Amino acid sequence: MKPVLVIGGGMSGVTTTVEIAEVGKDVILIEKNPYLGGNVVKFNNYFPKLCPPTCGLEINFRRIKQNSRIKYYTSTEIQEISGEKGNFKVKLKTAPQYVKNNCTACGKCLDVCPEERPDKFNYGFTKTKAIYLPHEMAFPYKFNIDDEYCKKESCNKCVEVCEYDAINLSAKEEIIDIEVSSVVVATGWKNYDASKIDNLNYSTSKNIITNVEFERFITSNGVGENKLLRPSDNSEPKKLAFVQCAGSRDENHLPYCSAVCCSASLKHALTIQELYPKSEIKIFYIDMRVTGRNEDFLIKVQDNKNIGLVKGKVGKITETESNNLILEAEDILSGKKMNYKAEMVVLATGIVPSDISINLNKDQNNFITDLQTDGIYPVACSRKPMDVSSSVKDATAAALKAIQIK
Amino acid sequence: MIEVSPDIKFKKQLKRISNSSLNECMQCGTCSVVCSLAPDERPFPRKEMIWAGWGMKDKLIGNPDIWLCHQCGDCSTYCPRGVKPADVLSAVREISYQHYAKPKFLGKILNDPKWFPVAILIPVIIISAILIMAGTFQIPEGPVNYSKFFPHAWLNSSFSFLWFLTIGLGILGLRNFRNDMKKQDPDLKPTGSFIKNLFSIRKEIILHSNFSTCTAQKTRKIAHFLVFYGFILLLFVTTFAIYAAVTHNYPLEFKNPFKIIGNIAAIMLFVGLGIMIANRIFNKKDFGNSTYNDWLFLVSLFLLTVSGVIVEAARFINWGLAYHLYFFHLVCVWFVIIYLPYTKFGHLLFRVVAMVYAASINRKLK
Repeated sequence: MKPVLVIGGGMSGVTTTVEIAEVGKDVILIEKNPYLGGNVVKFNNYFPKLCPPTCGLEINFRRIKQNSRIKYYTSTEIQEISGEKGNFKVKLKTAPQYVKNNCTACGKCLDVCPEERPDKFNYGFTKTKAIYLPHEMAFPYKFNIDDEYCKKESCNKCVEVCEYDAINLSAKEEIIDIEVSSVVVATGWKNYDASKIDNLNYSTSKNIITNVEFERFITSNGVGENKLLRPSDNSEPKKLAFVQCAGSRDENHLPYCSAVCCSASLKHALTIQELYPKSEIKIFYIDMRVTGRNEDFLIKVQDNKNIGLVKGKVGKITETESNNLILEAEDILSGKKMNYKAEMVVLATGIVPSDISINLNKDQNNFITDLQTDGIYPVACSRKPMDVSSSVKDATAAALKAIQIK
Repeated sequence: MIEVSPDIKFKKQLKRISNSSLNECMQCGTCSVVCSLAPDERPFPRKEMIWAGWGMKDKLIGNPDIWLCHQCGDCSTYCPRGVKPADVLSAVREISYQHYAKPKFLGKILNDPKWFPVAILIPVIIISAILIMAGTFQIPEGPVNYSKFFPHAWLNSSFSFLWFLTIGLGILGLRNFRNDMKKQDPDLKPTGSFIKNLFSIRKEIILHSNFSTCTAQKTRKIAHFLVFYGFILLLFVTTFAIYAAVTHNYPLEFKNPFKIIGNIAAIMLFVGLGIMIANRIFNKKDFGNSTYNDWLFLVSLFLLTVSGVIVEAARFINWGLAYHLYFFHLVCVWFVIIYLPYTKFGHLLFRVVAMVYAASINRKLK
């Protein structure tokens, strides 16, 4: 019986993988990053329980590790697909594996590596060596080498110091041909490029960051290490503002609602309050879209005297000489223009589907539609914006579909 | 509590003229922020958009903000829903010409293309009638001399009379407009006389400073500047011509300073109007939706300028069709200055009255 291919090792892909394997079918999971966990592993905490996402991921990684039916390839992307349901021929491409699987992450190579790279895991706000552990909780727990920054054999220092002979600087990319019965596309999402929203001046103002970047700013293993430090001067901001619908619900950018940014900003606001109880926070919104029992969370935020919810979309942000930011909005409820000065601004950017190199049916916003060749199932944020818990349910549903293809 | 009684007919008219799907506005307020003119208190055009969505005609018609907008289009550019607030405000202005028109039917026939033939027939018949009364309703023999076709005394007295009549009617409409603005906010007590408040906004009018804030369309200011001053110069030259026709030899020599000023003014109008027309045709995205009302005024002023120059040249070359063109030129003159309160040219009156009212309640633009 041919295995199922799962493309994308984020929350949904991992969930589909373990669900399929645990009912007794073989699964191949591929992930383009050198680690599993996708966007979720970068988050500080979950909405609405505010617990750390690494907790749930760790359980899933264990389920992967213990299950012999699962094969996973990191740093791997899909190149070609042909065939039909029950019999897909797939070509995979794995980036050069300079660090072998016997790496113990002892870290000796770090001391000798002379090259630095911007840490993509922290959106470039910090740096790592060219040889690096993707992050503290990385799975697989092994080092990785950044092709772009490593000087390879001309340097060779890491190879000399490695006690396990785990580094091979002449490694080449690998093509893997597999045959699978069905495919689950869990390619997930990236956040909208905020520099395209020219009136918000994201690219020219240091202290305007996006919501996904903000996750790294408040995480204990992230940019500021237990402190929220603003980029311009590493001071701890006491006046912050959140700009909802930064790109979403906007014909000039993303015409759809990204579904999660309201909850995310509410979560961020409370997290800041926990860290700095005296901080002053304003959230500028068009509509606060938190539904069902999540409304309790909204009420909790509304009851917090230091968090102000302002109905009115921010139309303009200007930077002052001291790198503070003036946000302009019309407070719709009072009908007055409001100028709010903040020390740091978070743009609640929306969800954009990630790119995928194979040809699939997409809608006008690039989300993968449900109408595909039989045997190919898009899941979670690759098909529409949704939060983690909905994604997990969607992933389980996709697993159920995939296992039925013989 | 606000009582809302939607005027469905008005809303449909607004929708048709603006080509905006009014109710798709989600009241986010981006427009009020990106507007470079909207004041901090009760900014526009977000509030206008909800009034438009509810068909609240009274609120919109008697609202000075409608006329404080200079149609730069920034709000439409940044609108996340594509509901084009700039075009909606422009449509309210268009409806205002009709709403305050006295007599009503002139407002109607000048804002609806299907009445265009009637709009043409009125000046054709009346000018012909004047010519018949003057006994000159035929093409004169000999070298071109327009006074043989339309004696100066007849021309100047009849057109001056009609011009004063139309301005008088326009002022009646403006009085209603001003009363409607006062009714909107009974709490706001206007202060100062009309003249004093007009004086206080002289900079905006003379320097076109409100135009400068437009970021989307830089050529608008220069175009309006040229047309505005070109027209004022021509008005000045025409007044002198009327005087000269009585006291001096008319037509004036080609080298007469007034004639030179007149020709320069014609060039200013030609260039300014050329830019306006080109912008509307080639830059639809930034300039929004142009309506019949907009084109009618623009084209008649353009044809007035062009025909005026040709009529002048025809005199020197003794062109056979000179008198026919002269007649056409007079019809253009009619469309521009006699129809003034009913066409887009009415913005001259409405905008000034609204700006003066805004000054009287101390409503300052940004």
